[in-house]
Amino acid sequence: MSTAAPEAVAGARTGLAGALVVPATIFVAIGLLGPIAILFRYSLNQFIPGQFMVDGLTIENYVKFFTDPYYINVLVRTVRVAVICTLACLIMGFPLAYVIARTQSRFKNLLVMLIVLPLFVGNAVRAAGWMTVFGNRGAFNASLMGLGLIDQPIEIMFTETAVLIGIIAVNLPFMVLTLQSVIEGIPRNVEEAAFSLGAGPSAMFRRVLWPLALPGILAGTILTFILAMNAYATPVLLGGPKFQMMGPLVYGQFAQQNNWPFGGAISFILMTATILLTVAAHLIVQRRYR
Amino acid sequence: MSTPRTSFGRMALNGAAGLSLGFILLPLIFVTWLAFFRQEIPSFPPEGYSLKWFSAVPGNKNFVEGFVLSLQVGVLATLIGLLLGVPASLALVRHRIALGPAVNTLLLLPLVMPGIVLGTSLYVFQIETEIATGLPLLGSLAGLVAAHTLVVVPWVVRLVTASLQGSDRSIEEAAQNLGAGPLTTFWRITLPSIRPGIVAAGLFGFVTSFGNLEMSLFLVGPGRITLPIAILQYLEWKIDPTVAAASVIQIVLIGAAMIITDRYVKLSRVV
Amino acid sequence: MARLSIEHLNKKYGDLTVVDDVTIDIADGEFLVLLGPSGCGKTTTLRMVAGFVPPSAGKLTIGTRDVTTLPPWKRNCGLVFQSYALFPHMTVAENVAFGLEMRKVSPADRGPRVAEALRLVQLAGFDERYPRQLSGGQQQRVALARALAMEPDVLLLDEPLSNLDAKLRQEVRVEIRDLQRKLGLTTIMVTHDQEEALTMADRLVVMEKGQVRQIGTQRELYEKPADRFVAGFIGRSAFLDGEIAAPGRFRTKGGLDIACGAATATGAATLALRPERIAVADEAAGCANRFEAKVEHASYLGALLDIHVSLSEHDRMLLQIPNRQGAAEPKPGETITIGWGQDAGLVYPRED
Repeated sequence: MSTAAPEAVAGARTGLAGALVVPATIFVAIGLLGPIAILFRYSLNQFIPGQFMVDGLTIENYVKFFTDPYYINVLVRTVRVAVICTLACLIMGFPLAYVIARTQSRFKNLLVMLIVLPLFVGNAVRAAGWMTVFGNRGAFNASLMGLGLIDQPIEIMFTETAVLIGIIAVNLPFMVLTLQSVIEGIPRNVEEAAFSLGAGPSAMFRRVLWPLALPGILAGTILTFILAMNAYATPVLLGGPKFQMMGPLVYGQFAQQNNWPFGGAISFILMTATILLTVAAHLIVQRRYR
Repeated sequence: MSTPRTSFGRMALNGAAGLSLGFILLPLIFVTWLAFFRQEIPSFPPEGYSLKWFSAVPGNKNFVEGFVLSLQVGVLATLIGLLLGVPASLALVRHRIALGPAVNTLLLLPLVMPGIVLGTSLYVFQIETEIATGLPLLGSLAGLVAAHTLVVVPWVVRLVTASLQGSDRSIEEAAQNLGAGPLTTFWRITLPSIRPGIVAAGLFGFVTSFGNLEMSLFLVGPGRITLPIAILQYLEWKIDPTVAAASVIQIVLIGAAMIITDRYVKLSRVV
Repeated sequence: MARLSIEHLNKKYGDLTVVDDVTIDIADGEFLVLLGPSGCGKTTTLRMVAGFVPPSAGKLTIGTRDVTTLPPWKRNCGLVFQSYALFPHMTVAENVAFGLEMRKVSPADRGPRVAEALRLVQLAGFDERYPRQLSGGQQQRVALARALAMEPDVLLLDEPLSNLDAKLRQEVRVEIRDLQRKLGLTTIMVTHDQEEALTMADRLVVMEKGQVRQIGTQRELYEKPADRFVAGFIGRSAFLDGEIAAPGRFRTKGGLDIACGAATATGAATLALRPERIAVADEAAGCANRFEAKVEHASYLGALLDIHVSLSEHDRMLLQIPNRQGAAEPKPGETITIGWGQDAGLVYPRED
């Protein structure tokens, strides 16, 4: 009813607002942007074995990454894993998010807590769970052998499959929670309106629910994709030393090789690839649905 | 109302949802199971059950010290994060400030910044700061707390701004209309009305810090590792019921924290 | 209690003028209603009085105090919000006591005043409840009690009844009005509900597009609307477009010649007629203006019949006739005689 735009209460001074917001802003700006700038500077330095890091202004670290098939392979594998995991999370996450968003049950809060709990427990613990399942004498192989379906244990530990399953399970809660909050914002009666106009469940989903949930789908997809691209604990524990992804590769350069310039460059490539692919996905989705 | 077809669709939907939920919970279920095995090797089916591994956890120096450090860092980072984030949220929602949207984006940025990138960049930043000031930052408690504060702030800003936007602005006006000045209005009206958001922000901030692995990997020093790193290093070596028992203790503590928080603020409303 | 004067009040957001040179004097103890369609500036005016919106220009005086630049917490205007804005974390008693606490009234003195305020709104005994435990109507009373307890100089009501259901609204109207009279409170209420405004006000202010169109009593607004907008907004009017052909003569677009007393200026104009002042059939005999009209549409409204008629190709109008026992109901297609006196119509310059 009010015609007035929301307005600062008379007496609220901008000086006060500044005093409130400036400390956090300075802290994040210095703590986030400063380090990234220094990292970028490091990535242009030279690394000479035995001499450690030498100040320079060279792109040789980037050249080294993109000319060595080994590193390119790691990047391609990382992107592949991230894309598969993100799609799987979307497909697996939507039904669960929908059910939680629409349930009238008094157990709704319990359901949400069951999804948040694994998120809070951390990646290493969850990887430990999968290690218990996947081992040669783990729950999976033991069950199949007990049922007489296989004679020899199937190798799952230290394969891409194990890593995919691990990352999907790690990221799924993020997707579910993001989608759930968006679906809850979509009034139930637009679905009912679609049904009353003759749309079946699949037409309703395609024409009404999906387009309305798109902002959440996009947000959830971006979040899970970023997390998958940068996974560390899961590939290390479930993929083993031979299954290299970008996250462990960066850590190795810093912690084991002490090659900061090259590690910095890989870190930057990882960040840039993540951002570029995220933006690309954003644009494709926008073009298709706007 | 429900035809056979729609009830079948309903079942399929619930089934798919149940499978996904099971998939999320599966690793926790198995790690909990393993913690009660009698034998040390994680082979199925177990030879029997025992509680002995839980008594082995306190004997592991890395787990105990890691837990203490994670707790210290989590509590400190959460408190500092709240002190920085709550006033900032207030300014962002209640006042028109220059570059408001840009500031908002900046404050949320650490949330989407990959842990590996944060870790590497903070690592080199702390090295440069050490060189410049001579203060031993890298591997110190202060350095770790500062880094963790960086990932706590966006959670605080996100949850507290949402809470502020959801709280009825007119109750603040009502207070002023009844004679309360700005400070009184804040303490007596605004703060109580966003308390759920602040509690949730504290919980999320703490748990984000407590569970942080990737960033912390780069910032811990010798003899000073956090619990997730202790667990990771143990798992790189082997998996056995001892590490499972340590994990179960962590699951129970976090679960308890969630249930306590849930009494103040329904998690399904803030996540 | 005090008189309130609003002088040349103005509010601009950039180039947009939301409140345009509003001047109103409200006498001590008067119940004034600001009435107008959505976006007419009435709520902004009220919020300027309360101090939540700083005016771009103008002056506000309560009693002898110039409050134009005072912050809200120093104005002593009790405001009842449309959403009630009760403090959800405080009990009813704590809500009502809040204003007293801010005025440093000692806890011992607060109790009786809270009890008195709650008694006034018939909520004695609800002290320890929380707002969420109350019905909408009860919440509304708490909001009122909270504003009354601090003994405001002026009471401001921002669409206070809009969230109540229709039956309750009628009861609460009367209660608020009685209370206001008993306490002799200078009151401004904002509403877009015409019936509410007419039943409650001592005087009404009709606003549109940020401007005051007319200030007056119910009778003044209905009988002598200042312009075409007011004629259409307060009650219903039938409008005929045309021009003033000569002093006292109005010619419609469709060429009808109508006698009207007041018209003196010449040029494009609109003639406004109250639908119930138009006589039908035998009753039209002796009217200065009599026409044959074709019935286009008739609606049965219980006490009244709404009849849409056409007088010519370009002249259509609405009339209302009482639903008397045995009276014939005009059917679409029928031709009836209608008529009105020469003073029944009011002529306004045309607003395009």
